[in-house]
Amino acid sequence: MTPILEISGLSKNFGGLKALQNISFRINPDEIIGLIGPNGAGKTTLFNCVAGVEKPSLGKVTFTKDGQATSIGGRKPETVTLLGIARTFQNIRLFDNLTVLDNVKIGRHCRYKSSIFGAVTRSRSQQAEEKAIAETAEEFLAFVGLKGRGGEIASSMPYGDQRRLEIARALATEPRLLMLDEPAAGMNPMESRELMDLIERIRKKGVAILLIEHDMKVVMGVCDRVVVINHGEWLTEGKPKDVQNDPKVIEAYLGSGAANAA
Amino acid sequence: MGRLRIQQLSRGGKIRIGLLILVLILPLFPFISDYALHIAILIFMYMILALGLNIVPGFNGLLDLGYVGFYGIGAYTSGLLTIHFGLSYWLIIPIAFLNGALWGVLLGAPTLRLTGDYFAIVTFGFSELVVLFLTNEIWLTRGPLGLPGIAPPSIDLSWLGGPKWEFAGEVPYYYLAILMVLVTVFVMYRIQDSRLGRAWFAIRDDEIAAVSCGINLLHYKVIAFAISAAFGAVAGSFFARWVTFLSPDMFKFWESFLVLCMIVLGGMGNIWGVMVGAVVLVSLSEILREILPLLGLPVEVRFLVFGLIMVIMMRFRPAGLMPIPAVAAKMKAGQVKRKPAVATAGSKK
Repeated sequence: MTPILEISGLSKNFGGLKALQNISFRINPDEIIGLIGPNGAGKTTLFNCVAGVEKPSLGKVTFTKDGQATSIGGRKPETVTLLGIARTFQNIRLFDNLTVLDNVKIGRHCRYKSSIFGAVTRSRSQQAEEKAIAETAEEFLAFVGLKGRGGEIASSMPYGDQRRLEIARALATEPRLLMLDEPAAGMNPMESRELMDLIERIRKKGVAILLIEHDMKVVMGVCDRVVVINHGEWLTEGKPKDVQNDPKVIEAYLGSGAANAA
Repeated sequence: MGRLRIQQLSRGGKIRIGLLILVLILPLFPFISDYALHIAILIFMYMILALGLNIVPGFNGLLDLGYVGFYGIGAYTSGLLTIHFGLSYWLIIPIAFLNGALWGVLLGAPTLRLTGDYFAIVTFGFSELVVLFLTNEIWLTRGPLGLPGIAPPSIDLSWLGGPKWEFAGEVPYYYLAILMVLVTVFVMYRIQDSRLGRAWFAIRDDEIAAVSCGINLLHYKVIAFAISAAFGAVAGSFFARWVTFLSPDMFKFWESFLVLCMIVLGGMGNIWGVMVGAVVLVSLSEILREILPLLGLPVEVRFLVFGLIMVIMMRFRPAGLMPIPAVAAKMKAGQVKRKPAVATAGSKK
């Protein structure tokens, strides 16, 4: 099977700091991959390199959709989104002053065309588009469990709901690959169980998921495979259970003494 | 849309319709002098300016200190086309609009990559450039002597065998200005509720999130800047044919500042708020013009008063008299007060 995303030899330097060195792994369609590693390992930098926010110093990132492979390393973020990769952010980035529904509508933005002339004349095609945008946005809200909350102001919602809204907004761009940056951070056990359920349902829609997460319950619960990076380097990769017991991984998290003790 | 019934309108809608009717019949009252009408027209013109500028800081969160540049370009284009080619004002309006948009693109496309304060400085430089051009290119603009004798607009029906009616007194300008404000408000409302408007609001609230939703920042910022400039130029074209005299010092930085104050005072991003801001500041300016000489102070002191008002507003009502709904709701809920977009624009990455 062709992987949906193939990262090969990816490196990123910030001046003298080697944030990422020669990282390679692949994500198959409808797979859930966990990306873990201690703080500062370079997980978010890797996200940014894939999403186009940072330009990789070296290496290739290839995104394959419907049998068509595109090299996306160094592409603009809006192009990457248009191709079919969506993301959420470690510290939630919602459009705070807009309603919940408008947030998701903005996620729909890249799939439609109308602009200034349609807006002012309110042409037939623009009206049809607006209707479609509103309807599909409502569907995405319902999908993440925020049905009927469209009128609220995004920033006034509770934290867990903001996380879900951010996922709804990302899904609204119709991605094939969804990258979630610590979605369970700050969630209580019940909320993170709901989140795991949501991630499973997203996969069932045929969306591959790359997940950065510190909450090991979530990682172990949903991921098919886990990639571990440490100090910007690929450390190991495998089934969640195997990775969990790998002495190298325990050492990376807890120091060299801990591996022996375990 | 179905038939419009008065009973179905919300309270706000009734107030607005009532206000509009009042404004429309205002010149009929005997106690309304030409001076009062003149001030009213000035208010309407500043409403167009403020609504146009509002797109950039209010909808996109970008600080624009050089709006008067487009106003000046619009005014001089209108004046020169009238003097040299005798063009009808009805033809000049679309020309001014397109000309303004063109300059908006010319300035915006290369400079809108800059963020926050850097962009503000560029716009400031641009408006100074316009004033310098108008002052020094004497062959075209007559420089500091100004451009006198611009013909007023006229409604020419002679080609139909009808009469030719030239604008005289303030009343025709009054209605023309109202019409232009209504069109501007209409366009602003339509854009606000569209895909384009949402893209702007997304950029205002969080550029990085906007990009990750597939919004091309530069593309939408240039559109915003162009439309904003186009309305500035249209207001300028009206100004030229209304006062029938132009000089470069009418387009100094203070004008930009004044329009920006209207937006901040009224409520950045709120169409009605911005219009209220125009009413308050233009009236205040006229009142101060009367009062200050009585106190033995020069008229320019009014800018000190504006500055003081801004300081007081920032301290007690940073979101303006009529904040955008989300901010109003947050303020009601006692949450953190929203920093005005101008202040946050610079700190965004």
